[in-house]
Amino acid sequence: MASPTRFAVQPVETALGRIALVTMDNGEEWQKPTTFGEAALRSLEEALERLETETWAGMILTGKPFVFAAGADIDEFGEITPERAREGSAAGHALFARIRALPFPTLAAINGAALGGGVEIALHCDYRTISSSVRHFACPEVFLGLIPGWGGTQLVPRLVGAELAVKFIVENPLRQNRMLDAAQAFEQGFADALLAPVEFLDESLAWLLRAIEESRPPRADADLSDAAEVVRKARARVDGQVHGAAPAPYRALDLIEGAARWTLDEGYRAEEDALAELLPGPQAQASLYAFDLVERRAKRRVGIPSAHPREVGKVGIVGAGLMARQLALVFLRRLEVPIVLRDLEQSLVDDALSWIAGELDELVRRGRIGEGKARFLGSLVTGGTDWEPFADCDLVLEAVFEELAIKKEVFAELERVVSPECILATNTSSLSVTAMGADLAHPERVVGMHFFNPVAILPLVELVRTPATDDVTLATAATVTGKLRKRGVLVRDAPAFVVNRLLARQGAVVTDALDHGNTVEETDEAVLRLGLPMAPSVLLQLVGPRVANHVRHTLHAAWPDRFPLSATLTSLAEGGGQVVVEHAPRTVDEIHRQVLEALADEAAHILREGVVPEAADIDTCMLLGAGFPFWLGGITKHLDQTGVSQRVVGRPLAEITPDEA
Amino acid sequence: MARELREVFYVDGVRTAFGRAGEKGLFWKTRADDMVVKLVRELLRRNPTLPPERIDDVVLAATAQAGDQGLTLGRSVALLAGLPTSVPGLAVDRMCAGALTATTVGAGEIAMGAADVVLVGGVEHMGHHPMGAEVDFNPRFVAERIVDESAAVMGQTAENLHDAFPHLTREDADRYALASQQKAGRAWDEGVMDELVVPMTVFTDEGWRLAARDEFLRPETTLEALAGLRTPFRAGGRVTAGNSAGLTDGATAALLASEDALSEHGLEPKMRLVSYAYAGVQPELMGLGPVPATHTALARAGIGIDDIDLFELNEPFAVQVLTWCDGVGVAPDDPRLNPYGGAIACGHPLAATGVRLMAQLARGFRDRPGARYGLTALCIGLGMGAAIVWENLQDGARG
Repeated sequence: MASPTRFAVQPVETALGRIALVTMDNGEEWQKPTTFGEAALRSLEEALERLETETWAGMILTGKPFVFAAGADIDEFGEITPERAREGSAAGHALFARIRALPFPTLAAINGAALGGGVEIALHCDYRTISSSVRHFACPEVFLGLIPGWGGTQLVPRLVGAELAVKFIVENPLRQNRMLDAAQAFEQGFADALLAPVEFLDESLAWLLRAIEESRPPRADADLSDAAEVVRKARARVDGQVHGAAPAPYRALDLIEGAARWTLDEGYRAEEDALAELLPGPQAQASLYAFDLVERRAKRRVGIPSAHPREVGKVGIVGAGLMARQLALVFLRRLEVPIVLRDLEQSLVDDALSWIAGELDELVRRGRIGEGKARFLGSLVTGGTDWEPFADCDLVLEAVFEELAIKKEVFAELERVVSPECILATNTSSLSVTAMGADLAHPERVVGMHFFNPVAILPLVELVRTPATDDVTLATAATVTGKLRKRGVLVRDAPAFVVNRLLARQGAVVTDALDHGNTVEETDEAVLRLGLPMAPSVLLQLVGPRVANHVRHTLHAAWPDRFPLSATLTSLAEGGGQVVVEHAPRTVDEIHRQVLEALADEAAHILREGVVPEAADIDTCMLLGAGFPFWLGGITKHLDQTGVSQRVVGRPLAEITPDEA
Repeated sequence: MARELREVFYVDGVRTAFGRAGEKGLFWKTRADDMVVKLVRELLRRNPTLPPERIDDVVLAATAQAGDQGLTLGRSVALLAGLPTSVPGLAVDRMCAGALTATTVGAGEIAMGAADVVLVGGVEHMGHHPMGAEVDFNPRFVAERIVDESAAVMGQTAENLHDAFPHLTREDADRYALASQQKAGRAWDEGVMDELVVPMTVFTDEGWRLAARDEFLRPETTLEALAGLRTPFRAGGRVTAGNSAGLTDGATAALLASEDALSEHGLEPKMRLVSYAYAGVQPELMGLGPVPATHTALARAGIGIDDIDLFELNEPFAVQVLTWCDGVGVAPDDPRLNPYGGAIACGHPLAATGVRLMAQLARGFRDRPGARYGLTALCIGLGMGAAIVWENLQDGARG
C-alpha cells in the first residue's frame, strides 16, 4: 500500500514571472508508482487553491523521479457502490477541470510512466512534454473492465482524433494491455515535445517559458467528423474479439463517439454514468480481482518452500520435438547456461538445433540481442542421441511422448548418468508425476514443470509436487521458473493438474455436443460467448487432436463419468472427421450453460481434492496458462458472480476448501 | 628531440548553486554525478562550436571517491552526460584542491600534446559524504606522532592557526567574514553570479525545486550577529560557523583547450595558464599551505606578488585567509582579493572549489580590462597548498 500522494507546489522565479512547479509524489521509491486516491485529490484541491489565488506566470505539473502518475488507486475500487463510483469520477472531473481553467499556461512534464488518470491529468494541461525514456503511456482502463473516467474518453479524441483514440482507449488495452512509449506518444500527438531525459525537467521549464514568450497556442482540437464511422468499424472489431461478453470496450466506444458532439461537461457526465455502471459491475470487479492475482499474488510464490534453491549451471532437455525445442530456447535465453538436447534420431536433434539457431538469428534481426550474444548463446546448445552429455546437468526436463512407460524409461536412463541431486523435471500435461518417479532411487528430485504452448507467450508453469518431492527440488524449480520470467503455481500431482483438466472438461461438453450432431460453428459460438481468446476448434488444432484425446483418456481413466470418451475426438485423433453418434443437437444457449456448469463442477472437484488450495490459484492458472480474460476473473470469479457455482455445487467456489485427507 | 611546450587556455567555467550539506539541504536527494552532468551539458551548450567528440579527456575530482562519486567520475559523468563513448575520463583527488588538480592534470595533457580539449571539474556532496566518514585513518599517524591528532579535523587546524599567530583575533576573522558575505551579496545583486551559476531542478521531499542560489549566502549578517556564534571546535575558541565555510554540496566544471583547438573550434579563451605549484606544510597547520605554493608559482612565472592584479583565494576559514595575507603581504581588505566574496559566503564543496575560483577570476578579469595576472589558491588537508597563476586574455589583453 503506497502512501497518499501529495501535490507539492514550489515557486520558481523566472524572467517571465513566477512559475509554479507542482510535483505529484507519494514519498516512496520509484518502484511504487504515484497513484491518485482520495487523499491525493484533497491535496490537489489544496494546490489548486494556491494556484488560483496567487499570481503565476505558468505551471509545470510533473512526477517524482522516473514516475509521472499511475492513475487512480485501484485499491479503492473494490466492492464499490454505483454512487461512490459516480462521486469518484465527478470529483476528478471537478478538479481536473479547474486545472484546465487556470488563467495561465500549464504544462505537463511527463517524466515517467503515465497511466490512466496520470494521462488524463496531463491532458487537462495546455501543453505536454514527454521524456524520451518513458515506456508506459496508456489508458489501460478497458483492460480492467472500466473506461477512462477522468476526461480521457473526451480529451483523447479531441487531441489526436477518433482513429487514434479508439486505438489508445479500446484496442491497445484489449491487445494484452499494450502501451505507448514516448516516441509513439509524441508521434501520435499526445505530447508537444519529446525531450531527452538527462535534463528533462530543466528543458521542460525552458520549453514552457518559450511557449509563454511566443504565446504558443495549445494544439488545435482534432476534426471528429469521422468519429461515428470510425467507432462503427471499431465496434465490429471488438465484437470479433470479446463477443459482447465485456461491456467496457463498447461503453468506451460510445463515449469516444459522443466526444464529437458533446461539450466537455456533457462528456464528463457521460463518463460518470458509465463508471457508476461499470465499476461496481461483475466484469470490472472480476478484472480488478484478476489484476491483483496476476500482478501481485502470482509474484509472491504462494506455497513454495523457503529452502535454499540449488544452482543450475547446465540444463538437459530430453526430446527435440516442437515443445522441447521451445523449452530449450527459453532456458537458453533466460539462464544462459549450457543446454544439451537428446532425441532418438540425430536428424531430429539437428532439426531442433537449426530451429534454435534460426530463432536466435531472428532475435538479432529484430534488434533484441546483439550478434555476439547470439553467437555465444548458440555455442551453449549441443545435442545428440547419447545420455553421457547429461552427466553434469543440474536440471533435466523431459518433453518426450506422453506415455508413462517411455517417461519412466527416460528417468531411469537419466538416473544412471546424472548426480543424485540433479533435478528431474517433467513437462507432462496429464500423466502422474508420482508414477514417473516411483521406481527411481531418488524420487525426491522429481518435479513437474508444466509449460504452456506457445512457451514464449503463455507465462504459466504448473509446478507439480509429488508426495516424494523434497523442498529443495521444489524451491529450485520455482526459482528457475522465475528466472525464465514465468509464473509458477504450485499444484498437487493429479491427472492433468489444473488448466488442462478444466479445458478438457470444457472439451468434453463440446465433443459431446458434436457427437450429438451440433456443428463446430455452434460449439465454437457457445464457448466464445464467454469472451475467450480462442475458439475450441482452433485450440484443438493448436494442441493437436491426438494429444487432446490422450489427455481425455487419462482423465477418463480417473473419472469416467465426467470425462467420457468421444467418438468425434477419437476420429479426429486418427485423422478423421466428426462422428454423430446420435442426432440430438442442443441450442447454443444450452451448450453454453453446460460448459459453465461443467467448469464449476470440475473446479469444485479440484478444490476439494486439494490440487490447489484456493480458487485464486485456479484463476491464476486460467489467466496465465489459458489466456482466459480478466473480466471472467480467471473463471471461478465469474462462476461465483453468475450464481453457477451456487446452482451446481451449492456454494461459491471461493469458499470451498480441501477435504480432510 | 626537443619538443615545444604547448600553451593551455581556460575557455569557460560554470558551477551549480552551492547547497547546505545534509537532509535539509537542497541537493540531499540529488546525486553528485548528476550535478556534474548538468554542468558538462551546460558547457557544451555555451560553446556550441565545440563538437563533443573532440573532447579528449574528462578529468573530475572528488575527495570522497565512493558512492555517487565513486565510479571513476570523469568517465561515468561523460557517459551520463551523453558524450560520445569515444571520450575517456578519469577521477582525481587532492582533497580541497581537487578541481585545481584536475585543471593542472588536464593542462599537463594539453602541454604534453596528449590532448587538445579537456573538460575538468569537481564535485563534493558533503551531505552524502561527510568529511572523513569513508576514511580509515592509519593508527600510525597518531601512534608514531606522524601528525598531530588535530590535523584530521579541519576546524581544529584553523584553531591551531589562531594559536600560532595570536595577533589574528576572532574579531579580525569575523570582520573578514562579514566583508566576504557583503561582497558576495553585491555580486549576486549585480548579476555576476548568474553567469557562473547554472540553475538546475532538484527533487526534494517538498517536490521539485530550482537550485539557483547559494544556501549559505547571508549578506544581511552583522558583526554583532557573528560575534554571538558559538565556537564548535573548542571551548573558548575563535572559529565559528560564521567565519568559516559551511559543509557544502556543489559541483563545478570548466573547459581547457590548446591554441590549436581554440582556432579550430572558434573558442574564445579567457585566460592563459602561466604557472602552478603545490606545496606541503605541517598537517596540523594545513591553512598555511597556500603561502609556499603562491611563492613557488610566482617564482616559476618569473613575477612578484605585486604583479598580480586579482586574487581568488579559497576561504575555508577566515583565519586561513588572514595567515596567507600576512605570508604574502596582501592586506585582507585589498580590493584585489576575492572581489565577489568567497567560500564563507557561498560554501566550500571541497574538490569542486578550484574551478569556482577560476571562473570568478575569469569574470573578475573581464571587469578589470587593465588586469594582467591573477592567482587562484587553496589550502589542502594533510598540510598542503595549491596555486595557479593565470594571465588575462579578455578585452584584447591576449599576449
